[in-house]
Amino acid sequence: MKLSSVDYYLDWPVSIKLKNLREFIITNLEKKGDLIRWSIVDIQNSIDSFGTKKLKIKAVIAN
Amino acid sequence: MENSPTIFIVPTGIGCEVGGFAGDALPTAKLLASASGCLITHPNVMNGGTLSEKDKNIFYVEGYSLDRLAKGEIALKRVKQQKIGIIFDSAIEKEILVRHLQVADACVSTLGINVHSYVITKKPLNIVIDSDSSKISGGTIENPDTLIDAGKCLIEKGVTAIAIVAKFPDDSDSLETNIYREGKGVDPIAGVEAVISHLISKFLKVPCAHAPALNPIELNENLDPRAAAEEIGYTFLPSVLIGLSNAPDIVELPAKNESISLHPDQIESIVVPNGALGGEAVLAGIEKGLNIISVKNQNTLKVTNEFYDYPNLFEVDNYLEAAGIILAIKKGINLSSVKRPLKKIQQCSYSD
Repeated sequence: MKLSSVDYYLDWPVSIKLKNLREFIITNLEKKGDLIRWSIVDIQNSIDSFGTKKLKIKAVIAN
Repeated sequence: MENSPTIFIVPTGIGCEVGGFAGDALPTAKLLASASGCLITHPNVMNGGTLSEKDKNIFYVEGYSLDRLAKGEIALKRVKQQKIGIIFDSAIEKEILVRHLQVADACVSTLGINVHSYVITKKPLNIVIDSDSSKISGGTIENPDTLIDAGKCLIEKGVTAIAIVAKFPDDSDSLETNIYREGKGVDPIAGVEAVISHLISKFLKVPCAHAPALNPIELNENLDPRAAAEEIGYTFLPSVLIGLSNAPDIVELPAKNESISLHPDQIESIVVPNGALGGEAVLAGIEKGLNIISVKNQNTLKVTNEFYDYPNLFEVDNYLEAAGIILAIKKGINLSSVKRPLKKIQQCSYSD
């Protein structure tokens, strides 16, 4: 097993409700590997008209 | 007497003004435990180097397992005593190792803790601290498999909880370390400590906590009181052994024929620093509609309710106020009724 520390950037579309946000993030992060630790460390409101928010996630992943 | 099970989180390595140092959130944990009657919190809240304390109203649960509890994957079972094993990183120098073994013996002879045995990893863990850890501490270890193998060895010998002691690079003269000791920065090693204990929780599913092995460092007369607990003695192991000595068992759900002391469905609130709403436990709590009590506690993050607009979130100025909210929740008191001005009740209209 090898661990890597990654910064992951993800768009949070308005179609994803807050109560589904965790699952949405995990589904995307797990494509990178097995999750050991993760957290949203920054959110920015989008400047576009769709209301998409920009997430920055810090994670440690095992492969 | 009724209680209101509450999770108390101070995320590791984000420089929280309260709780970002060496067990300096322990008094707050005791306050919140007293208010709630049942508090679940993680080792870095409770571990003050050589200093710590037991509290019958506090469950000591490692962060990865705490997240799983919030997600509803596990329950907790109170135990009178854990049989503790210690994993020592083989990179630890002999003199430091002997100091730690003597501390473990002291915890048996003086505190009556059941420290059963220890194992030394086959390979060094090789800690790698992220170079950009000025705002959020992070990093990894190069040999995770050797850590897990050592843990398996202890469990095969009948150990029920695991303390880990890893060798950290000697960076006592680094800018980050000195800023931290003077109470101004982020704990530079906290992020890697979390990774180490998360690995044991994830793969071995037993209570665990980590203490770093560091060489003694030069006296700093400008030491911040919040960092002072890490300056006493040679090791940080005592607080870990005290915490693990009666940490609850992890019960996988659904559980058959297993007595449970705390089921995740009983949890009512999560207390977390304002700006640190991006962790898995908080997001899981939001999914379940739990009360989120967001406390002003200066840190390096800005993930606030401005981005969530979650209705069951209470923003408070300090932990004394958070304790008041918990008491009101526990007693079923409408929070609006103790605030002024008090609005009249509203007439509802029928929806079409």
